[in-house]
Amino acid sequence: MNLRKPLILTVVASALVGSLAISSVSASAAGDQGVSDSEIVLGMQLPQTGAASPGYNKVDDAARAYFDYVNSKGGVNGRNIKLVVKDDTYKAGLTITSASKLINEDKIFAFFGSVGTQTHVSVIKDINRRKIPDIFVNSGFSGFYTDPKKYPTTFGGLGTYTVEAKILGKYLKDKYSDKKIGVLYQSDDFGRNALAGFATAGLKFEAKKTSASFIAGTQGSIGLASQISQLKANGVDIVIIAAVSSATAVAYATAAQLGYKPSKWAVISVGADATTFQTILGSKGVPAATSAAMLAGTISASHAPAAGEADDVYVKAFKKINDDFNKGPDKRWDNNILQGMNIAYLATEALMGVGKDLTRAKLISYLENNGSKLSSAALAPLGYSKSTHEAFTGFWIGQYDATTLLAPIDGKRVVYTTDSGSGAVTVSNYKRPAIADDALPKVA
Amino acid sequence: MSKGIKPVRLKYKVIGGRSTLLSVALFLFFILLSKQFDAYNQSQLTNIATLLIAVFSITLLTGASGQISLGQGAIMAVGGYGSALLVTRLGLSMWLAFVLAIFISALFGLFLGLAAARLSGPYLAGTTLVMALAIPSIAVRFESFFSGDVGLSVDYGTPPTWLSNLLGEISIEQWSLYVVLPFTAIALFAVLNLSNTRAGRTWRAVRDNEVSAALAGINIGRTKVVVFVCASALAGLSGALYGFRGLVAPSVYPTDLSLTLLTAAVIGGLRSVGGAIFGTFAIVFLPDLIEKITKNFNVPETIGNYLPSLTIGILLLLTVILNPRGAAGALEHIRHRRKH
Repeated sequence: MNLRKPLILTVVASALVGSLAISSVSASAAGDQGVSDSEIVLGMQLPQTGAASPGYNKVDDAARAYFDYVNSKGGVNGRNIKLVVKDDTYKAGLTITSASKLINEDKIFAFFGSVGTQTHVSVIKDINRRKIPDIFVNSGFSGFYTDPKKYPTTFGGLGTYTVEAKILGKYLKDKYSDKKIGVLYQSDDFGRNALAGFATAGLKFEAKKTSASFIAGTQGSIGLASQISQLKANGVDIVIIAAVSSATAVAYATAAQLGYKPSKWAVISVGADATTFQTILGSKGVPAATSAAMLAGTISASHAPAAGEADDVYVKAFKKINDDFNKGPDKRWDNNILQGMNIAYLATEALMGVGKDLTRAKLISYLENNGSKLSSAALAPLGYSKSTHEAFTGFWIGQYDATTLLAPIDGKRVVYTTDSGSGAVTVSNYKRPAIADDALPKVA
Repeated sequence: MSKGIKPVRLKYKVIGGRSTLLSVALFLFFILLSKQFDAYNQSQLTNIATLLIAVFSITLLTGASGQISLGQGAIMAVGGYGSALLVTRLGLSMWLAFVLAIFISALFGLFLGLAAARLSGPYLAGTTLVMALAIPSIAVRFESFFSGDVGLSVDYGTPPTWLSNLLGEISIEQWSLYVVLPFTAIALFAVLNLSNTRAGRTWRAVRDNEVSAALAGINIGRTKVVVFVCASALAGLSGALYGFRGLVAPSVYPTDLSLTLLTAAVIGGLRSVGGAIFGTFAIVFLPDLIEKITKNFNVPETIGNYLPSLTIGILLLLTVILNPRGAAGALEHIRHRRKH
């Protein structure tokens, strides 16, 4: 090992490589970064590639399509919205690096719609200590939102898993009290958060018998045969799934292989997108008609209209914008695109609400004070206040029909509401405001 | 016999002096470079300083002693969890936790080394690869202790007041670099000394020919264990520093982290400390460079997202095929040709 000249030379060479990567350092403006007279820069982190990406990798393109539409109509208070997206492949190490890039290099004004509980945990503390708004996070983990003193700048973009599980759990308990109910969940905050909600609803599961878990992300490589066999051996009639879409697809396929036919499947909404389900099974050679038949009868919940409700005014408007503005690689209309558009609609509304004099502190204050009044495609109101940053506080229960449409059970939609704590589940009386003809939010 | 010992002692002193100088030079070089960088590149510089320690562990393990490890990322996880648990559960100071992480991972390396001493080549590579896959899932299996997928939230904290008074306002990125850099300099000092003293010569003897080394009186098994202990101590320290960027969790230490570290070592030159520095700079900054280029050419994200790994993969293949001694080897070759 000769360490004299080569070492010094390599140090110099390394410096050159480093220097090449230096980006132009712009002088910081007097106000918050990411806002100029003509532009507002938002940043999103999500898995665009990798095992956890199917379905969720459409959210960014959908949101960008809506922002492009807003920009085509003159933007927000004369400013165009620019969305910078970073692929973290659902690995926290990369999430940390890309967050630094968004903050320091892309100079974003706020984080918007980041996808993933596991990955967002790695950066949420840093984002909050820098006082950067972290709005409409695509995670239903209640721990991010129920203590605004801990995470003052983070606001949800989904109903919490706890709220959904409480509502879904109560429905299943009331309706199927004579059946044996079991659960398959991913052993992370998502799965545990949902289990807590089911427990509050009075649904208790027995470990190794009616409760089966798996390590998030392993469903594709290891499969779920042992978990499904366990549920089958214990005679579980109703299987609840609290996991991502790819795991739902593997679970159904495995059950079919093992000849296990529970009388009902019930799937938490983020894992129940029909298009993603069919795409994943399609890639394994399952024809669309077969996968549609597999999904039919599945119970799920939603805070918004189902993507397949072609007559819904928001669905109609967003679908048109998706057709005209979405430049993503897969713009097939589904729940992920609806969610991406909806949070972009909410972000536009909030930015309009803050007004021309836009700062980070003002955006956070606006969401805390006026956030619960913001309207969107959702059929339940937002829960934002000074004491909680939870998003949608209600869900309706539906069942997939033969055309993969999630339709209200018995044809009548009832939206239930509750909180992420021990509050009761009640019927919501929220009336969703209609969308304007130009599909732009109207702020008083 | 005394004549035989003297020159060795003399050489040790000389090397000690030079390695101190080089460690200080590396420290100052990073500081000066950081002054030229914006905040993002400062954080990348911290990543380099952190990962460099782990790449040094490969320089020792594979470069100096010829043992292949595809599981250095897993040992980083051991260091990361060790330090994070000490801070979150026992309330120890971050600095003490970093030092203790060195011992925890060295102990882990001892057990690993005892097994590894019996293996070589692809068997050792396979075993360490399994370790890289298995260790992060232990955190999920024993969820109540290790916090499962969610992991342990830790960070470098804020700079002490006396330092802010001394240097002026210190940003989060600068503070992260200041925390990591002293450890990197110490690691460089340790690696240079280990490589160029009796220990290093013994390791190289084992690497080049085990039979000859054994005939020369070297205890092969013990030597291999010692290398594993030293390399694990370095990797563990790197893992602790890496985790304190924000989170210690299984997804922070994925299997491909181990492979990335090995790639850095190979691109730079497995047997060279300077090569390790170059390789680490390359794997950290190349993705940024590629992103800048793809941005200019409007490459769609479906291709752009895969380009950094593809480029680094191609670079690795080309290095192995055309220039197995890496960047440092090529430099040495050029220097040699000029001389003659």
